[in-house]
Amino acid sequence: MIKKLYYALLTGFLCYLPVSLFAQSDISFNKYHSPPEVQQVLKQLQQGNSAQTEIHTIATSPGGAPVTVLEIGKNLQDVPAVFVGANFEGNIPISTEGALGLAKMLLDSSRYTKNLKWYIMPLPNPDAAKGYFNTLKYNRTVNNFEINNDNDEALNEDGFDDLNGDGLITQMRVKDMQGTHIVLKSEPRIMVRADATKSERGEYKIFNEGIDNDGDGKYNEDGEGGINIGISFPHLFPYNKKEAGQWSGQAPEVYGIMRFIFDHPNIAMVYTLGSSDFCLVPPQGGRKGGANLQNFKIPSRYARMMNADPNKTYPMEEVIEKVKELLPPGTEVTPSMVAGILGLGAAVNPLDEDLKFYTLFSEDYKKYLKAKNFNTERLAPAPAKDGSFELWAYYHLGVPSFSMNLFTIPKVKEEKKKEAGELTMEKAGEMSTEEFVALGETKIDSFLKTNNAPDRFSGQGVIEMMQSGKLTPKQMVEMLSKKDTDDKKDAPDEKNKALLAWSEKEWQGKGFVPWKKIDHPDFEEAEVGGYVPYLENTPKPERIDSLLNIQLPWLLKLTEKMPSVSIASEKITDLGGGVYRLELFVENSGYLPYPIAMGQRNNQPSPVIVLLEGDVKLLEGLKRTPLGNIGGNQVKKLTWLLQSNKKPVISAKIESEVFSPDVKQIKIGG
Amino acid sequence: MKPTIVFILLFASFSTAFSAGNKGKIEVPLRFDRYYNYNEVITALQVLHEAYPDLTKLEVVGKSEENRDIYALTINNQKTGEEQSKPGVYVDGNIHGNEVQAGEVCLYYANMLLTKYGENEKITQVVDNNAHYIIPVVNVDGRYHFFEDAHTPSSSRSIRVPKDDDGDGLFDEDSPDDLDGDGSITQMRIKDPFGNYKVDPEDERILVRTKPHEKGEYTLLGYEGIDNDGDGKLNEDAEGYLDPNRNWGFNWQPPYVQRGAGNFPFSGVGLKAVNEWIGKRPNIIIGFAFHNSGGMWLRVPAEESTSIPQEDVAAYDVIGKNALKITPGYVYMPSYQLYPTYGDFDGQLYFVFGIFAFTGELFQRESETYRENANKPGQQEDRGDNTERNREQLQFNDNVTQGELYKKWEKYNHPVYGEVEIGGWVKMSSRLPHPFMLPELVHRNASVVLLAAANTPEISMEIFDVKEVENNLHQVRVRLKNKNGLPSMSKESVNKNIHRQDILKISGGKVVAGGKINDIRLNKVDYKEKKPEVQFLSVPGYGNVEYQFLIEGKSEITVEYESLKAKNLKTSVKL
Repeated sequence: MIKKLYYALLTGFLCYLPVSLFAQSDISFNKYHSPPEVQQVLKQLQQGNSAQTEIHTIATSPGGAPVTVLEIGKNLQDVPAVFVGANFEGNIPISTEGALGLAKMLLDSSRYTKNLKWYIMPLPNPDAAKGYFNTLKYNRTVNNFEINNDNDEALNEDGFDDLNGDGLITQMRVKDMQGTHIVLKSEPRIMVRADATKSERGEYKIFNEGIDNDGDGKYNEDGEGGINIGISFPHLFPYNKKEAGQWSGQAPEVYGIMRFIFDHPNIAMVYTLGSSDFCLVPPQGGRKGGANLQNFKIPSRYARMMNADPNKTYPMEEVIEKVKELLPPGTEVTPSMVAGILGLGAAVNPLDEDLKFYTLFSEDYKKYLKAKNFNTERLAPAPAKDGSFELWAYYHLGVPSFSMNLFTIPKVKEEKKKEAGELTMEKAGEMSTEEFVALGETKIDSFLKTNNAPDRFSGQGVIEMMQSGKLTPKQMVEMLSKKDTDDKKDAPDEKNKALLAWSEKEWQGKGFVPWKKIDHPDFEEAEVGGYVPYLENTPKPERIDSLLNIQLPWLLKLTEKMPSVSIASEKITDLGGGVYRLELFVENSGYLPYPIAMGQRNNQPSPVIVLLEGDVKLLEGLKRTPLGNIGGNQVKKLTWLLQSNKKPVISAKIESEVFSPDVKQIKIGG
Repeated sequence: MKPTIVFILLFASFSTAFSAGNKGKIEVPLRFDRYYNYNEVITALQVLHEAYPDLTKLEVVGKSEENRDIYALTINNQKTGEEQSKPGVYVDGNIHGNEVQAGEVCLYYANMLLTKYGENEKITQVVDNNAHYIIPVVNVDGRYHFFEDAHTPSSSRSIRVPKDDDGDGLFDEDSPDDLDGDGSITQMRIKDPFGNYKVDPEDERILVRTKPHEKGEYTLLGYEGIDNDGDGKLNEDAEGYLDPNRNWGFNWQPPYVQRGAGNFPFSGVGLKAVNEWIGKRPNIIIGFAFHNSGGMWLRVPAEESTSIPQEDVAAYDVIGKNALKITPGYVYMPSYQLYPTYGDFDGQLYFVFGIFAFTGELFQRESETYRENANKPGQQEDRGDNTERNREQLQFNDNVTQGELYKKWEKYNHPVYGEVEIGGWVKMSSRLPHPFMLPELVHRNASVVLLAAANTPEISMEIFDVKEVENNLHQVRVRLKNKNGLPSMSKESVNKNIHRQDILKISGGKVVAGGKINDIRLNKVDYKEKKPEVQFLSVPGYGNVEYQFLIEGKSEITVEYESLKAKNLKTSVKL
């Protein structure tokens, strides 16, 4: 009853929306906070809400900076928790602001902190994050861990050099007979790879801005640092990348984060602010090399034990039956168990069941953004990287993992004026010669112009050719569309178009450093230029507040989808002789299952136990019964056979690291 | 645990038959007809260190989950050079807590090097030429509990990180229980006319499976224990399980892919400390981790999707193929052929630190013989029927070890099953040699480590050709020769840029060109385009590399060879 009242109260709160999300304190989001400032903000948030919050220092970076987690809800016991990590690669400062903004939202309104705990980590990679605030900027992603990237006799001896003295590391193009790149004809700022099949010959070599400091013939191959925290978690750890380190957790930041998360099994959902966006685009599938759980061979060392042929492929159902024979009768055997026992390998693609909610939520999110008049015609967020935190959270923790990219650059809208009744290429192609000629010279002229026909095509000329049978409307349209595609090929791609337009519109052209000749010790003709670092994912500071205010509340709303497990009702049947059947109905009133499919596969989320206590003898069933998996909005029935002549009151209790304990007193025998 | 069992545990004798009695004072030279418990291992290391303070360094590598110290003994002769200037030999044991004789092999290796230094020429050489890093017990908690508590020969293997094996929300709450209080966890059997076992007519201790339609006598109930957590299952959530040989960084896979992996790499704090300790010693080129049992020398890779260069297989073979002869009956193979593993120790050593790592699986139970001609194989065993072999093993127990390895079946009143019988192979059996067999085992296996140490790279450098090719231009040729079987760095390290390559450096003159000589007779040189005065290289086992430099001017030039894993060298010549 108390619980129901509580829910009613909560529902009441749902109607309340804060007028401004940043009402209470004076922390403002009109600038990017440097790593020391981030610690200051956290401290301020903590001190302003000391009953509710605590700062955990979970690691120290090789550069000596703390990695801290702000716990919101330290006063709450036995509630689920959400872990929020931001800016793992260190080069997306707005995601750090997002984490701070989220913390502030949570502290400004109590709506999402009543029965939910939050762990917020704005700066897992402080060494890299300081790169944005340095006078020399180069999109730094690595910490100060000592890595001798080129395995020579010196450490960090060949980093970038600011040759044009603008405080930015951009690119360097060098005239070279063996070059690989040419200037794009239609947009001379853009360099593209020369295509020999189109008789193009490379004229430039492209480098990052710098000199060969150690004289080994390679440029900028061993700069400062380090390990990129954003690619060094254990799911698909990229062993071939020096910046990932040699194993997952070699960087103290990564080790500390993993330790902290496994020390807090109440974490039931994980958010990542960074470059990927699972809110908008569900995690990618289609990777090869994952475990096939439908049909597979039984490894020979188990085949003998199971009376199976190691060379034969078996369907999962058949293997489950074979495994069952080896286990005590009645043991539940799931495909995940079989995969574990037989060592079939890791999952590398999101599971179908999970993709359903990812897809559904992403559709909802698009609607949500539309309702907020947020332009979604933007460059696509990056796919999650191998070794990323968000992939690890999904595959190894088995919890819903949502990432959000707070800013990508708007696409350039295709400007094609379409007047009503205008002749389209498609329509023209379907016309007969007579019909087309009948349009008259003026209309044909304008049609040709609209569709970028070459100058030699005039209305008069086309009419003459058609009348003499040399050209049909269909052939003309084919020629025009081929020309159109060729033109498009010569134009900058969508991303470059968007970046250049954004540089013009938002940064008065300063987002691109114009190519300019510099003196270089090794090259006669070298120019420095290109996009400025951080252009792609870092908007002007004055935009931060609104970007956070529009997008972050979605992450709050998503928590409403979390599973919530409690005892719905019970039924006692008196079988006579002091023997009773107890049926307990346990419900998940949340939308998401517990655990999600990946959690069922990896068996990592902590179990939900139904604990029965009282003066009864159990004829069937256990004192501690694992609930197992429970779907969203599902009710699961558990049954016991009890014996007692005392008509006692017993208690049934939900015991879990994640869900609040729910106790029900049950009178046996009326 | 029920009070009755506590009572039994408190008042019964713990020790197995042969660990009882006076094991003698621990002094140098150490004795190896006995086993050392955790504290005795520390004492043994201390007495070695005290006896040879100039040759040894004893330090604590780190702490375990239960806050025990993990010790390392370093053997190095300071007079012949600093530790890290010499090729390092790493030996550890007992990473699985129950595999205790691995610790004795490590102790024996240390004892042998120290007590025979200056007496035996071969041993004197490896003490002078190498740095030896010895961690006898990696899983200190596991060893401690294996000796102190009741166990099967296979339990106390885990790192002491509790894990909820049975998914009931409780951790490590249902271990086997030493019901008869003899210090061992053995088996339980119950009389059962419908059982699928009957006693062997020749030896009633042996149970044999009944044939179809044959009347049974017994049902086997599994390990000795009660249902501590009342879930209807016995002994299903014992200590851990976190397998310390699945928790290393390289190619680690989560527990749902491989049981016992731990939640993340190096979640075991003791392992993390050992890994960091090894990482700080980049001179280590060969590593051994001793386990039991089966009689195997295992090398990388540990699973089939990874492969290693042929050059490294050849280097491994130098040790592995000789090891087979030193330890007759052992097999030598890549460990994936046994079964695939992820995140194992050998992989970390080889793929992360560039160390040729071996796992030594100590002891073959086949050596427990009771027959006229020990060279002849025993009775052929039918598939699935080991009765003949079991009879011989029991006779070995009865007549060679005076019954110390096997607990006779005895009646016990079990709280759930009623009258049962408890008996079987005791803790210090099966995977462990009886102490009388231990000296040979430790000696043979330590000899393999010694052989490996003697094969660590020993590079010599000579300037073998200097001539003036033009006025003021000299051609200088340098040869680096390795007299031993292991290369100065693994091919994998070269290919994958695992660590800094060896460096050959010319100073004192202007090097106009320099590079590796590919064909000395035809004078074909692969000149390096940039910085010719610094060359990166490695020296193969039993091989050499030659370099040529063209130097302008007439001066004294110095040639230096620097290696992480082999000794640095320096020489000079006047042009």
